[in-house]
Order: sequence, then C-alpha cells, then structure tokens
Amino acid sequence: MTEARPCDNLLKAAFPAIVQDDPVCGESSHFQVPKDLLPAITRYLHTQPNLRGRLTLIWACDHRPVRDTYGLHYLFTLEVSHHWVVLSIELAGNDRLFPSITPHVHAAKWYEREIRDMFGLIPEGHPDLRRLVRHEHWPKGTHPLRKDFPWDRVLGRQQGEHRFRRIEGEGVFEVPVGPIHAGIIESGHFRFSVAGEPIMQLELRHFWKHRGVEKLFEEQTLIGAVPLAERVSGDTTVGHSLAYCQAVEPLLDLQVPRRARYLRSLFLELERLYNHLGDIGAMCNDTAYALAHAHCGRMKERIMQLNDRLTGSRFLRDVLRVGGVTRDIENRQLADLVDELNRIQPDFSEVGAIIFANASLTDRLETTGILNGQTAWDHAVMGVVGRASGMDCDLRRDRPFAAYDELPVNVALYRYGDVRARLRVRGDEIHESIRLIREICSKIPDGPVANELSCSPNPGDWTLSAVEGWRGEILYMVMAGEGGRIHRCKVRDPSFVNWPAIQWAVPGNIIPDFPLINKSFNLSYAGNDL
Amino acid sequence: MFRIIKKSLKIGVVTGQYRRAERSALPVSPEVKDKTKLFKRSLAIREVDTGSCNACEMEMNALLNPVYDAERFGIHIAASPRHADALVVTGPVTVNMERALKDVHKQTPDPKIVIALGDCAITCGMFKNSYAVTGPVERHIPVDIRISGCPPRPAEILEVLSELRKPTV
Repeated sequence: MTEARPCDNLLKAAFPAIVQDDPVCGESSHFQVPKDLLPAITRYLHTQPNLRGRLTLIWACDHRPVRDTYGLHYLFTLEVSHHWVVLSIELAGNDRLFPSITPHVHAAKWYEREIRDMFGLIPEGHPDLRRLVRHEHWPKGTHPLRKDFPWDRVLGRQQGEHRFRRIEGEGVFEVPVGPIHAGIIESGHFRFSVAGEPIMQLELRHFWKHRGVEKLFEEQTLIGAVPLAERVSGDTTVGHSLAYCQAVEPLLDLQVPRRARYLRSLFLELERLYNHLGDIGAMCNDTAYALAHAHCGRMKERIMQLNDRLTGSRFLRDVLRVGGVTRDIENRQLADLVDELNRIQPDFSEVGAIIFANASLTDRLETTGILNGQTAWDHAVMGVVGRASGMDCDLRRDRPFAAYDELPVNVALYRYGDVRARLRVRGDEIHESIRLIREICSKIPDGPVANELSCSPNPGDWTLSAVEGWRGEILYMVMAGEGGRIHRCKVRDPSFVNWPAIQWAVPGNIIPDFPLINKSFNLSYAGNDL
Repeated sequence: MFRIIKKSLKIGVVTGQYRRAERSALPVSPEVKDKTKLFKRSLAIREVDTGSCNACEMEMNALLNPVYDAERFGIHIAASPRHADALVVTGPVTVNMERALKDVHKQTPDPKIVIALGDCAITCGMFKNSYAVTGPVERHIPVDIRISGCPPRPAEILEVLSELRKPTV
C-alpha cells in the first residue's frame, strides 16, 4: 500500500464506509464502494472544489467463470493534481441493477447506456434508456460482452424503430442526414430539427459501424492483439496501439528500453502532424477555400510518404509491439526526417499566414459552433476540442508516458470554443509537434529497441493506460485471463466522449455550417462505434 | 493576393510526385471493362463505408489531393448514389450497415460497378466471424473489382481506377 494522499484522506473522512484497495497503476487510488453510496461519492468527487473530479471512464466487467459477479468501475481524473481515482462496485448473483450517476455527473450518460446494451445491467434512474450500441433490430436479450455470449454468434433480426427526440410546432421540420454521407466520410446519422435557417436541436444516432472490437479482443492473446488495436481507428493507429501496449506491459512486468520510448513519442508526433495538417485543410475546404485545402493536402501527403519511407507504412502500422518497437530507425534516417521537417515548417507557416489573412474565411470560422467552457466541463470533453474550450488538459504534460517525462510539452490553450479556436489549437500543435520531433531526434539515446517477454501474467490482474493521441485521451483497460489471454479489454477513444458534446455546439447555427463544425471536431466514427 | 500567387509559383506542380504502385492489384477483367464502356472517359464514384477503420477513407481522400489528383483521369466523387457509376465499398459489412448498403446498391442506376476496397471489404480481415459483422461485401451485393491492402496505397487504387478509364481496344 502506498502512502496516503490528501484526496484519499478527504474521501475516507467523508465516506467512512469505503475501503481502499491496492492502486491499479502509478498515481492512482482505488476504492471499493458500497453500491448505494455510489451516487453520493461520485457527486462529491465531481463537485468538491478541491477535488474537481472529471469523469474519465466507466467500464463493466463480467467476472465469470472465476466468480459470479459483475464489476463496475468509475475512473475520475482530479483536475488539480491529475491523480486518478477509481471507484469500484460489484453486483453479485442475479443483481442486475446499479445506481445511475448521470443525474449528477452528466458525462456518464453514454457510458451507462453502453453498459446496459453490452452487459444487460440496468442503470437505475438514468433519464434516457433508449438503446445506444444495439440498434433496434437486434433481438431482445443480446448482450455481447457477457461471457456466455459467443463471439461468433449470428444475430437474428427483429422489428423495431428508434425514437428520436422530437420538437413539434408550426414551421418546425426535421432533416435526417446519413448514415451514408455526401463526401468520403464514415457512417453515422444526424437528425436536425430546424425552424427556418437555425438549428434548434441535433440528435446523433451512431454505432452503425459497431464491429464487436471489445469482444474480439477477448479472443486474442495479450501480446498478439496489437494489430487489432491498430485497426480500432485507422487514423489513430499509433495512439491506439501505444495505449494498448502500455496497458499490457505492466501486466507482463516488461520495461520498455529508453530508445524505444523515444521512438514511440516520435511516431505519436508524426501521427499528430499528418492528421492536424489534413484537418486544417479539410476545415478550409468546408468553407469552400480550396486553395488552403490543396496546400494542406500536399503537406499531409509529404508526411505520409515520409512515414512510408521510415517504416514501410503510411499509417505507421506494425511499428509498435509489446515491449518496445518492431524496428529501429537509423540515426541517418532521423537526420533526413529533421531536414524534411525543416522544409515543411516554413511551408506551413506561409500557408497559415494566408489562411488567417483571409477575412471571408475568418468570418465563417469565428463565433461558429461555440462549445462553451461549462458545457465542455459537464461533458468532460478532452483533446483538441477541450483545449479550444479552455479545458487545460494534455496527458503528455499531466501524466507523462513514453518519453514525455524528458520532453516538456507546451500545451495550446484557447478559451472561446468556436471553430476558429479549434483551428488555432491544431495550428499551434503542428509547430509544437515539429519542435518535439526535433528535440527527440537530438536527444534520442542509443540502445536496444525492445525487451523480450519474461514472465506470464496473473489471471484477473488489470491495468489502465492513457495516451494523448492527436484527438485526445485514449484509454485502455486490459484484464489478463487464463494462459496469457485477454479476459476483458475496454477501449475508449476520445470520440466517444466528444460526440455527445457536438450536440451542444450546433444549436443556433445554420445547417450549412454543420459540416464545418463537425470537421472542426473531426471525431472518429470507427473509434466511437468499436 | 501577391502572397497567394507567390506561394503557388514557389511550390509549382506537385502532381505525380509519388512512388508508382509496385504491383498492379488484381487485373481488371475484360467483362468489367466492357461494363464500364458506357461511362466513356469519366467515372463518378460513391464511397460507402460499411464498418472500416477509416484508413481506407483517408486513402480515398488522398486520391483527391494535388499529389494524386484523380480528377485528371476523369474520376470524381458523386454526392449521391443516384449520380454514381461505381460504388466503392470499404470495411466488413456490419449488422447495422447491412440494410443501408443494400439500399445504396439499389439506388445506384444500372449499369454500375462495385469495387471492394481493402482487405476488410474483401474478406472481413480481422473482423471475420464477429457477431456484429455479417460477412464481406460480396455476400450482400455483386462485386466487380477487388483492391486488396490494409489499406491499399493511393497509388495502387489509382492504378486500378485509371486502368478502368483506358479505352478498350
């Protein structure tokens, strides 16, 4: 047991009934909580000014066949110290009810609906119990993440229709969009209620692309599941595979060599770079400013070709493995990389100057799609979107991983929360990434790039890991099973948290501005739907 | 204004600055080429994502950047299946997208060709047999061309597409 922290003492003083457990990983506290006390404790954690817990993840776990219980775990990040607090409750026997915390902690809304769909556990007191992941045509009683549900079961089909929230009145009409969109985009459904030009309400209907990723993880071994993690969301290949590797390594007691940690940071920054460049171009394109789109597309392509030359994959696939990285990058290649970035940076600065000097573009970007700070906090929004709305969080600085403990990161922060702020965050992060890559290339130590496996994991052990991908915080919870297999793997892409928030950034704007707002969030459908 | 022109002059033409595809994916069969004869020298594509990881979408998007510039081959993206000659389908077909895919196929006017893009669309890839996946694209609609890769490089996609655009002898 580690030394007691102020937040632990505060919680124990306020709620004597809770029991402290061993921490799940560094910088975290773990408590077993009586079920009926959960809403009060979460409310306390969330609202207490010297704690200010931001709900980061809720996951459930079916413990069968080891013991006949379901575990529910709530992860909060304390705003002040960035310390993690995990609260756990257990549902024994035939107990299928757990108290909903959504009425106090708004960010829990989708998590609880997801748990209801995937496990058949009912959040009591949840204001909206419509189906989320399972569309209405899924047969009743199918809860895929229960252990008695076979991963390769063929689903039947039943009748059913989704009930959208409706606004009725004179002149109000609905505009359904999707699941198949006009551009080359992923699948999702948006339903707008409009009266005249302005949008009154937007409701999302997602999970069209649900592929059963979390169940597929349970069919994999701990060291063999990296390719699956890479395919959770293709544009975040490194982010997801890195978060997965970092979750598995403590279970196997594996240390990652220092050179490999630097290379991991390098790959993560390269991924951030090409995605941000592409996003800035796409946002300009949605305002019909094709010139900036062409320039950004050209620069993004240069980075992707650079990735290809460095690693043999444009998306940096197959570069990470449990225990390190799969291939070393020679110092000569690193020098070439820095040369290329030295050409791209002034190129991008010139394009940036052209973009921000354009008055008609600025007119489209400013005051469009405002997500205010309070809404961002209520939804626990993170990543680029959060930092544009004044949420000062970046895991590279707050909970350093890979080589970031030796690489201080300057976090871009804007408060206004409109499309322009999100564009500015991306622009600043491009410069910061280039600076970081230069620093990595100058500081990278020599040595091995991977450590080999030495011990086998204890079944039932679990860890959490978090990575600041280019979109925001990616979280993985991995629980080891028998014989080096995975018992449960919870994947949380930042999109899952940020999607509900977009519903609050849109009202008041006109429908033609929606693609622009959506692009400025640029969330993953695949990472959300899983 | 001068800044914009200066920038464009400085950069020059970047189209074609990519490594050519090493291998032609799968050759386009004469029957398929026959089918595309009516489209003459243009090809309007509708992209449908039925559960991909979005890497294939990114490579499709890359086709339209100045480096690959697929429009120089008469290839462009239609906003609606009703305006399309070809459907490009990515990803294993998920339970939730199955009906949408069939609807889109029905709405695309004949004659049409279907291109399965990426390993997932061809074989379901890593997602084979999952409870949420109902099988590869060809289980639901007839597929004419398969472009393999995870994801296929833009140069490889472009080679197959421009092969389609070549006049038949």
